[in-house]
Amino acid sequence: MIKVEHLYKKFGSNEVLTDISTEIKKGEVVSIIGPSGSGKSTFLRCLNMLEIPTSGKVFINGQDLTGPKKDIQKIRQQIGMVFQHFHLFPHLTVLENLTYAPMKVKGETKSLAEEKARALLLRVGLSEKEKAYPSSLSGGQKQRVAIARALAMEPELMLFDEPTSALDPEMVKEVLDVMKDLAKSGMTMAVVTHEMGFAREVADRVLFLDHGVLVEEGEPREFFASPKTERARDFLEKVL
Amino acid sequence: MNLDFSQMVPYIPFILEGIWVTLKFVIVAIILGSILGTILALFKIGSIKPLRWFADAYTSIFRGTPLILQLMIIYYSIPQLTGYDISPFLSAILAFGLNSSAYISEIIRAGIQAVDKGQMEAAQALGIPYRAMMKDIILPQALKNILPALMNEFITLTKESAIVSTIGYLDLMRRAQVVGSDLFRNFEPLLFVGLIYWCLVMGLTVLGRMFERRLKQSD
Repeated sequence: MIKVEHLYKKFGSNEVLTDISTEIKKGEVVSIIGPSGSGKSTFLRCLNMLEIPTSGKVFINGQDLTGPKKDIQKIRQQIGMVFQHFHLFPHLTVLENLTYAPMKVKGETKSLAEEKARALLLRVGLSEKEKAYPSSLSGGQKQRVAIARALAMEPELMLFDEPTSALDPEMVKEVLDVMKDLAKSGMTMAVVTHEMGFAREVADRVLFLDHGVLVEEGEPREFFASPKTERARDFLEKVL
Repeated sequence: MNLDFSQMVPYIPFILEGIWVTLKFVIVAIILGSILGTILALFKIGSIKPLRWFADAYTSIFRGTPLILQLMIIYYSIPQLTGYDISPFLSAILAFGLNSSAYISEIIRAGIQAVDKGQMEAAQALGIPYRAMMKDIILPQALKNILPALMNEFITLTKESAIVSTIGYLDLMRRAQVVGSDLFRNFEPLLFVGLIYWCLVMGLTVLGRMFERRLKQSD
């Protein structure tokens, strides 16, 4: 589904990603972990071109995103993204947050978009909030709405950029539960996270990044029990 | 105290007519300034370098020189250079519209840039096209930042409009001067138009507050 080949990203002279190659298959849940500043988020953002790679290639379903004249908007419609700080549209109600893009971008009718949006709100447990504005929601509720908003576009792939890092501890679970549910439904997911529990239980594979290098990747049970590299061992000792 | 408003009474209709004369060109100047200002602001945040340079140079010239000078240059240089006898009304609209567009463009630019960058990223990630994103997501939020400063600019423009009295445009200020020299009493007519200017500005202020309250509904 996603194929990354020799991805490099520089900000000025600062190289944040160095020669990353990997692949995410359809239905796979991949956790991207590593110390802060290791380039995890930048890597994720390269997958939908929110950051333009300095060199290297990113393929989604065989289409090269880095190639010339790619219709990036079209491809982004197939990729949902959830941000650390939610980024809900504050001037729209919860329901409008969910229906805006499907109506505007995919040309869905209002009634169809609303019907689907209500089903999604039910799924994330926020049916009673459809008329609320984001400012009246808690962090956990905002993030669940943000997930629903991304799902409203019916993406084939979901990117999560530290979805629980800005939440109060007691709200982390409600968001992780929604994500677990989503993983079970067969969604392809790439999750940058500090939640080692989630990475261990839910992910099919773990990518460990350090200083912009993909140091190690593997099956979670194996990775957490006996990391192969020194750097991964160091990191896990600190966080577990 | 040697104040006598009774002598002014016959002149009151003449002065009151000035309200419309002033408002007429202030409104046109505000509209012109807002349209030009929006375009300049889009130039400034856009990615086309020559347009950005143009907008920056424009702003620096119109903010960097006195408004009264710009007014004089337009009023006196156009007939001299082109032979076209420009009216005080047209000169006033041009000077005030061009001048305030420089300020308005800065207000709008700052307002747009104050919208959280994440909003743009969220819209991009959903595949929303640039125009729709600007119109439906960014600008409505920017409006909240823009409105107070924009009201301020409109108030300034309304008051500074008195400068057009220097090119003989019969606005409120000019009428006060005319009445003053007729009566050999300047204080009363000046006080009277002062009150009118204050009322106009208060009207604008109330209007601005109403708008702000409507925009705050989602907070």
